[in-house]
Amino acid sequence: MRVIIDGRECLARRGEYLLDVAKRNGIFIPTLCHSDALPGQSSCRMCIVEVVEGGRSKTVASCVYPVLGDIEVKTNSDKIRRIRRTLVKLIHASSPAGKHMEDLLERYGPLPENRFEVAEGEKCMLCGLCVSACEALGTGAISTINRGTAKEVAPPFKEPPEACIGCGACAHVCPGDAIEMKEQGGIRTIWDRNFEMLECTGCGEYIMTRQQQEYIKAKDPEGTVELLCEKCKRKKTVDGFRDAFKNTGF
Amino acid sequence: MLVCCGTGCLANGSHGVYREFEKMLKYADHSVKVKAVTKATGCNGLCEMGPIVKILPDDIFYCRVKASDVEDIVRETLAGGRPVERLLYTDPATGKRVKSHRETDFYKNQQKIALRNIGEIDPANIDDYIQRGGYRALAKALDKMSAGEVIDEIEKSGIRGRGGAGFPTGRKWRHCAGANGATKYIVCNGDEGDPGAFMDRSIMEGDPHSIIEGMAIGAYAVGARKGYIYIRDEYSLALKSMSRAIEQAKERGYLGDSIMGSSHSFDMDIVRGGGAFVCGESSALIASIEGRIGEPRAKYIHATQRGLWDKPTVLNNVETWANVPVIIDRGSGWFNSIGTGKSKGTKVFSLVGKVQNTGLIEVPMGISLGKIIFDIGGGIPGGKAFKAVQTGGPSGGCIPGSMMDLEVDFESLGSAGSMMGSGGMIVMDEDTCMVEVARYYTKFLAEESCGKCLPCREGLRRMLDILNDICEGRGHKEDMDTLLEICEALREASLCALGKTAPNPVETTLRYFREEYLEHIQDKRCRAGVCPDLTEYYIDESLCRGCGLCAKNCPAGAITGQPGSAYIINHDLCTKCGRCRRVCKFGAVGIGGGAVV
Repeated sequence: MRVIIDGRECLARRGEYLLDVAKRNGIFIPTLCHSDALPGQSSCRMCIVEVVEGGRSKTVASCVYPVLGDIEVKTNSDKIRRIRRTLVKLIHASSPAGKHMEDLLERYGPLPENRFEVAEGEKCMLCGLCVSACEALGTGAISTINRGTAKEVAPPFKEPPEACIGCGACAHVCPGDAIEMKEQGGIRTIWDRNFEMLECTGCGEYIMTRQQQEYIKAKDPEGTVELLCEKCKRKKTVDGFRDAFKNTGF
Repeated sequence: MLVCCGTGCLANGSHGVYREFEKMLKYADHSVKVKAVTKATGCNGLCEMGPIVKILPDDIFYCRVKASDVEDIVRETLAGGRPVERLLYTDPATGKRVKSHRETDFYKNQQKIALRNIGEIDPANIDDYIQRGGYRALAKALDKMSAGEVIDEIEKSGIRGRGGAGFPTGRKWRHCAGANGATKYIVCNGDEGDPGAFMDRSIMEGDPHSIIEGMAIGAYAVGARKGYIYIRDEYSLALKSMSRAIEQAKERGYLGDSIMGSSHSFDMDIVRGGGAFVCGESSALIASIEGRIGEPRAKYIHATQRGLWDKPTVLNNVETWANVPVIIDRGSGWFNSIGTGKSKGTKVFSLVGKVQNTGLIEVPMGISLGKIIFDIGGGIPGGKAFKAVQTGGPSGGCIPGSMMDLEVDFESLGSAGSMMGSGGMIVMDEDTCMVEVARYYTKFLAEESCGKCLPCREGLRRMLDILNDICEGRGHKEDMDTLLEICEALREASLCALGKTAPNPVETTLRYFREEYLEHIQDKRCRAGVCPDLTEYYIDESLCRGCGLCAKNCPAGAITGQPGSAYIINHDLCTKCGRCRRVCKFGAVGIGGGAVV
């Protein structure tokens, strides 16, 4: 497939998402809810671009738009810039305290005084990445609840979620730093639940929760969960190699 | 005797009328020489005049029949062969009584295809349907046509989806038939979430077999063996009617294995929707059937390629499916001759709001809006001035009175800033505030948006903030531009059609009724007296005759005065309910407010 993005000719596989084609060719398209590990949210709509096909132009979300024919793409037309700016204003009004705003303000700021009542202190912009991460892990401890303007991310009945294993994947993928996760004295607190942390057998650093270990064990009863941090795991591998080649003359 | 037992007539006691007939006829003396049969039918359309009773073969049409009228009908009409004059429909234009409904303007200007059987048959009785040519089209398709020929026929008829978007049905079927995969699905969208719309409900209640037959034909054309009909749970009568019809069709072999001895097998089930408006959107509906949260997904790959459980799926709305058997039976040429250039056939509308004849109508595409509202609808009640009509459901646009010549088809409604939608039509008179209308629909959409994509959720939230401000006297002049700015983001960047069409109410009211926005913003005045913060009622001394009727009716005790001299409204006590204005016989209560007073 031949795709012309902002005047540059790029090659794409059939069915490949436009955002991935642009990225591979070094063309920047802003995203908030996109994660390579959890693609296809298409909720923030910051990645909109204009696609011209057969003489007709349409606005599409590049993160989920598959390339199926020869097209021309404008990632930064006046219209697209105008709409993106409106989206940034809307995001600012609803989640001004989110970490994602730092980058947005740098790129699109300064913004005019907000016409709306700003949700002071709010960090979540409801991109849905946390829910997708939890779903992908198979835990499903959190979900979006309600619809429309009442939508929010929450555990069932807004109670500390039984299904949560305290892995922190939700907090890790959140672009807004909106999910509070605290660690103190070997206890991790997230979603109003406390989890006992297990130490790395090598260096003693806290690496995972007991529930996480149990969850992995249950998924793979035959395997063993080695309680090692990334650093110690590498060290062990290197040491293993060294021992193996010790008396071979290498 | 056909007793209308559609939801509207039932609410007005038609089941009591039906029972009374049964009872009366059982014990009728020998003066009744005919063998009379009573049938409970689906909705006749003229809900305003319900309960409706039709008597065949003389085609006598009785309106607002009460159980206590039944005795007279049996004695006069059945035994005596005379119509009961007082129950006949009165032509509002001539004031004359009309015997048959066919003579009324309401029915005369209609053409019934999708509603062909409704009001004529007992939906609980499959033989009624068969007697009127039902399942003949399915037999014809299975017997004499190849799957490809069925698709050709649908394509040539020019029918487009009745659910809102108007996608050519034949092309949709062709895509699905050509898609890879052995498992394919047929889905019927009976979610119908638009406030004030009851087209699909009436078909499901009044003629369920037409939908089943349509779907069975569609399944044959694309090669599907399984279908689902998605019905919102609030539609209890429709659910009952459809499940009964499916059972009957299975018993008679119109559904199931080897239908009518052919090699085609098709079965269907009902899925009950939970009442989310967004589940009327096809991809959200599919998600809901699959048991997931009713949220749409990007549709760059059509459902005809990857739909229900990722299998090729044809999803059409109730009215579209109900049209299919007639097209196959009577031929594409006949269907294609009705309507306009790109919009063929008829369309069912639920005509509601400030109009004389509220009810369900079916008209040929291309009919003018004026003809619908004034001829069929009988115009505006109470001598009020017509202001606007909103077509296409909550995310349709408001078309002003000056555009009554507009032809009703997909293209014209779109170019006027509105849409066909699924066929809601809400008429508004001079007492309607157009800013409040925009606020109302924006609020509905903000609550019913699934909330997944940012422009729709946050855009609607902020548009509603602004409209609330304008209606409560806090509007700024720049607000109109801000509204349009958000409208553009919604239209272009939203994930699904709910968000993409959500700006319509705001955009069209800004386009056609800008002066009302300006009055609200600059003069702090609502000319219709709808927005309480911008309304102040006053009594015009020169017109007031001092009858005291307003004071008597005021629930807040805010009106004082002496009989014979002009009354006065105490603004501190007034709750702005507007009752004084409605009861005053001399037009002495005026609407002021804001900068005017």
